[in-house]
Amino acid sequence: MLQKINLKAFLVAVLATVLTLLLVLIGSRRLQNFDAALVAYLFGTLFAIFGIVYRYMVWIQRPPTRLYFKSSFRILFSKDFLYYLRYAIKDFFKNIVLQDFILKRGKKRGISHLLMAVGCTIAFSITFPLTFGWIHFTLDPVSGLDPNLEPIYTAHFFGFDVMHFPVKSFVGFLTFGALNWCSLLVIIGASYFLQKRLKDPGLIATQTFEGDILPLLLLILVSLTGLGLTLDYEFMKGQTYEFMAVTHAFFVIVFLVWMPFGKFFHIIQRPAQIGAHIYRKVGKQLGMQVCKHTGKEYATQLHIADLKKLTRQLGFQLESKNGQSLLEYSPEGKRDLVAIAHLKARQESGTYFG
Amino acid sequence: MHHYYKLQEEFFVDMQRCIGCKSCEAACAECETNGEESMIHVNYVDRAVTIQTTVQVCMHCDDPVCANVCPADAITKDEFGIVHTANTSRCIGCSNCVMACPFGVPKKVEHYDLMMKCNMCYDRTSVGKKPMCATVCPSGALFYGTREEMEKMRPNSSPVNQFVFGQEVVKTKVNIMMPKGSTELKIF
Amino acid sequence: MAKLPIDIDRIIEQFGPTLNFPKPEGIPGRDEPDKVVETHCCFCGMQCGIKLLAKNNKIVGFEPWMEFPFNQGRLCPKGVQRYMQDNHPDRLTTPLLNVPGEGYRPIQWEKAMDMTVSEIKRIQSLHGKDAFAVLSGVSLTNEKSYMVGKLARTAIKTKNLDYNGRLCMVSAGAGNKKAFGLDRTSNNYDDLEKAEVIIVTGANVSETFPTLTYWLWRARDNGAKLIVVDPRIIPLARTADIHLDIRPGTDSALFGAILNYMIEHDMLDHNFIDNYTSGFEAAKEAVKDYTLEWAETITGTKKEKIEAAAQLWGKAATSFLLHARGIEHHTKGVENVLSCINIVLASGRIGKPYCGYGTITGQGNGQGGREHGHKCDQLPGNRDIENPEHRKYIAGVWGIDEKELPGKGLSAYEIIEAIHRNEIKGLLSLCFNPLVSLPNNNYVREALEKLEFYVGIDFFMSETMRHCDIILPGSLHEEEEGTVTTAEGRVVRIRKVVDPPKNARTDSAILMELAQRLGAGDKFNFVNSEAVFNELRVASKGGTADYYGITYAKIEKNMGVFWPCPELDHPGTPRLWEDKKFKTPDGKAHFNPVHYHPSMDPVDEEYPVILTTGRVVSQYLSGTQTRRIGKLVEQFAQPLLEIHPTLAAQYNIQQHEEVRVITKRGEALFPANIVETIREDTVFIPYHWPGKKSANQLTSGHLDPISKIPEFKVSACQLIPTGKQAYVAKDAPDYKSN
Repeated sequence: MLQKINLKAFLVAVLATVLTLLLVLIGSRRLQNFDAALVAYLFGTLFAIFGIVYRYMVWIQRPPTRLYFKSSFRILFSKDFLYYLRYAIKDFFKNIVLQDFILKRGKKRGISHLLMAVGCTIAFSITFPLTFGWIHFTLDPVSGLDPNLEPIYTAHFFGFDVMHFPVKSFVGFLTFGALNWCSLLVIIGASYFLQKRLKDPGLIATQTFEGDILPLLLLILVSLTGLGLTLDYEFMKGQTYEFMAVTHAFFVIVFLVWMPFGKFFHIIQRPAQIGAHIYRKVGKQLGMQVCKHTGKEYATQLHIADLKKLTRQLGFQLESKNGQSLLEYSPEGKRDLVAIAHLKARQESGTYFG
Repeated sequence: MHHYYKLQEEFFVDMQRCIGCKSCEAACAECETNGEESMIHVNYVDRAVTIQTTVQVCMHCDDPVCANVCPADAITKDEFGIVHTANTSRCIGCSNCVMACPFGVPKKVEHYDLMMKCNMCYDRTSVGKKPMCATVCPSGALFYGTREEMEKMRPNSSPVNQFVFGQEVVKTKVNIMMPKGSTELKIF
Repeated sequence: MAKLPIDIDRIIEQFGPTLNFPKPEGIPGRDEPDKVVETHCCFCGMQCGIKLLAKNNKIVGFEPWMEFPFNQGRLCPKGVQRYMQDNHPDRLTTPLLNVPGEGYRPIQWEKAMDMTVSEIKRIQSLHGKDAFAVLSGVSLTNEKSYMVGKLARTAIKTKNLDYNGRLCMVSAGAGNKKAFGLDRTSNNYDDLEKAEVIIVTGANVSETFPTLTYWLWRARDNGAKLIVVDPRIIPLARTADIHLDIRPGTDSALFGAILNYMIEHDMLDHNFIDNYTSGFEAAKEAVKDYTLEWAETITGTKKEKIEAAAQLWGKAATSFLLHARGIEHHTKGVENVLSCINIVLASGRIGKPYCGYGTITGQGNGQGGREHGHKCDQLPGNRDIENPEHRKYIAGVWGIDEKELPGKGLSAYEIIEAIHRNEIKGLLSLCFNPLVSLPNNNYVREALEKLEFYVGIDFFMSETMRHCDIILPGSLHEEEEGTVTTAEGRVVRIRKVVDPPKNARTDSAILMELAQRLGAGDKFNFVNSEAVFNELRVASKGGTADYYGITYAKIEKNMGVFWPCPELDHPGTPRLWEDKKFKTPDGKAHFNPVHYHPSMDPVDEEYPVILTTGRVVSQYLSGTQTRRIGKLVEQFAQPLLEIHPTLAAQYNIQQHEEVRVITKRGEALFPANIVETIREDTVFIPYHWPGKKSANQLTSGHLDPISKIPEFKVSACQLIPTGKQAYVAKDAPDYKSN
């Protein structure tokens, strides 16, 4: 993968990493609010950002991806911008937030995936700002010193006070327990997939350890060790703190470093689905392509025109010398073409059998 | 009982033997890797004028067009030459592969917003069994076995795995049975 | 009174047909079954080997049985989907009583049996023994068929017992008995492999016996020339060397002309004709005027094509002739069969390797069922019910006085006619759906409604069963041990894989209890299916269909044994007539003179188009099972009217337009499918559907005088386009048409 460094991607990735670092400095008020204990996490995250941006850049430079990326931009600057923006938001809500398409592949599957996704997303949105020093909490000194008063916490974001709340309030319960709840969601979701992958013969045949099992194990391990920290603090008076902290950090960092390479990259890729939907919607308005053999509509004219360019660019010459293109046939039409050619060859040989 | 992929066994198709019964389609859905979706295609070539049907499995190209045009890196080829169906977590349902495959194989399952295609019954072939479709095919239009077996049964036909589409030559893992001595099939 | 208790739509709602689909997430337990059982498909006469998978007493899937010699794992779509008839929501699981206005009320077995037996006794005491009839089916195993025959004759003591094989290959059976003295295909299908010329006539093999296609294609790989005779370009005909697209009902003219051509060009095996046959001169005389030109006018097929076929057939060194319902479903079904046998005998190519002839029996146990059980004129072992010696032997086996044994009864369609005449008042039916499968089914419905008492045994509520007063839930193929005899004459083992669900019982248990309650319990003391088979072996001993040397163990060891097999150390007989000793009284094969006769419902000015009927690959017979299996229904959701573009243009019929098809019996609407693959003077409708979609509303009840088979294959019809586009097949709710 890294045999030949993609300069463009490298530069953008470096830029993104530097930018993040800058934001860390600003957000933490020159590291004043940065928790030194989280430095390992910070480096892991920076590596992940570098890797993800690099891979993303390489990815969108690939001709087929660029096709969708460019067309999305075209739409962004078109007069129908508002219409498609509304559609995109709706689609985002349906397919990225609610993950409707996975739910259709199976109810349990959809719900389990949603649990994992919700758990991960909330956890990310808490831990990243924490790691970057963007968020920190302080105990109101007055309430902290007086045992008769309820302890009041202040949440700071980018160094600004945003909220005061008592520990034993609902907000406090949610805020300080959030990561635990996320862990639980992830564990439930990931365990469902893990048991399925251990039992389903179809999945067993096609899955790989590093591609399919390892990501699930990592999610479960990160969540379990995270929960372990809470258990240690709540029930074991911090006796195993060292061990818990080290193992949790270890799995989190492995997870972060693994992100750009493994299965988790699909989280970054998935929004492209919206691009594909918009592309089809735009294409439909421009007109449908009719198969030269079956006489039925099978794709948008836009798609076929773009695919002609794309296949040529990729080095496939699917046109005959007189300019006829294979892509002007529907899948069924193409199957028929093969059968007709085969029939002709058989007829010319004088026998169907032998 | 074998528990590994038998590299010496190959897939042979002869659509002129196809009787359009769709036994393969029904059997394909018994394959554990694709649930109840059938990945094999049987259709009339032009019902108004002929009863001819054709049957199409994935040909498992050496350099698969489908994988090349995929914007999501969802299609991969493994060490046995099997071109696998879309990775469910990556596929964005764009249909590039569906429209670009020269043999018209991948299928967009709209309901799942997912492309699915034949992976040569990987749950069966990876443990040395034959694909469901080729096992049940009542006419022998689909056959899975060794080249020697085929040669013995059909000495007057040759397996061909090179196909000409326009100016493109596509080489595949799956063979089509052609008149003896043929080396390629020119589609157009 | 054998009428529907409630509105038909409500019956459908409750009892289906409901489409059973496999679950998208797969059937739990399929990958870890408790049992993998080698048995056979429940459908056609091929009886393909298949392994059924069971978990917790439920069928969860199948696996191809690669070792079974005939099909080596191959299956048609019906075979692949056969397991979907298990765990079916429509399955009958408790006895039901027809309560007018209310529906079908679940009742106890005790009460159902009591009512049934008292009604049988009441009707018989008032109107005589023969006023109660039995109609049976040959999806039953040999054991059950044998029990049905014995029950009807020793417990119910009626002569009026017949079966749905009457709609199947009785013409072939009668023809074979006349010519060879024995009713079985002469060869097993291995002999196809190196046949030089193969004639397939009136047999849409690739849709009705798909797995047989493999053997035909193998023969062609070895150089065989294929001649297909069919009014349509069926899948087999598309690549055939010669396709004779003859006008429906002109088969005997074609084969008469071929015989005449063989005689004129001396393409005869004189040695064989002289030494091993009789009747040649009369047969020759009958066809002496059947020139190619004459044949062309009768059959509507170019004489050059007929000549080419005659030459191929005449000159071949080895050959195989196969036929099926296409030539048999005629008022001259037996004549058509005999005209085929004549050209086989003239060639002398029989009883030798790669030289074969035979009918392809349609139903799962069409072969065995007719040999041992429920045919109105036959006793076990293919014995003749009118032959005193045969009667005496079977009476001895059954422990009754020969005088008590009823004589020859009415055939299936004649039973319907006798009900109309009020001669038959009560009926027991099992595995038979005459309301869909018999011709002129409006007439059949009226007959059923006239019955004083009707009791049925089945596993689904077929269209016919809806008329029953009492419904007894029986068992599926995979719920009982037994044997069947395939179209090749191979006796194979059917295995019990699961128990009947809930309150359903095995067919055998029901038959035995009926016998016991009718006072014949002593004759039905069978401990298991094997005990029934052992009695059947003895009963068949010395008959033409001699099973004496066949045992369960022997079948299992050899994956089937071909009858006749008279001794325990006999290997069975895959190929008949190698000794040239035919089973006719004179020991010779008989030529029979066959004059061509027109069909009974010829076209005229008022009804100018020929209507023929047949099947589609995804459905089986009256569809009681296959119209309940989702994928099979989706494959061909409703019957279409196949019509040639020239004829369609003549009537200004558009593609998929609804067309009114009218015959002298009735009329119905069918969507047009305009295709060039049919004769210009003929339309085709598949017959698997009931009610308004039934092709058998249109067919006639004219019977062959010998075999009593109805003439399904030729009706004269009118076509009237309605100007309305029909439903698109998949959206059509018509699969459950009332």
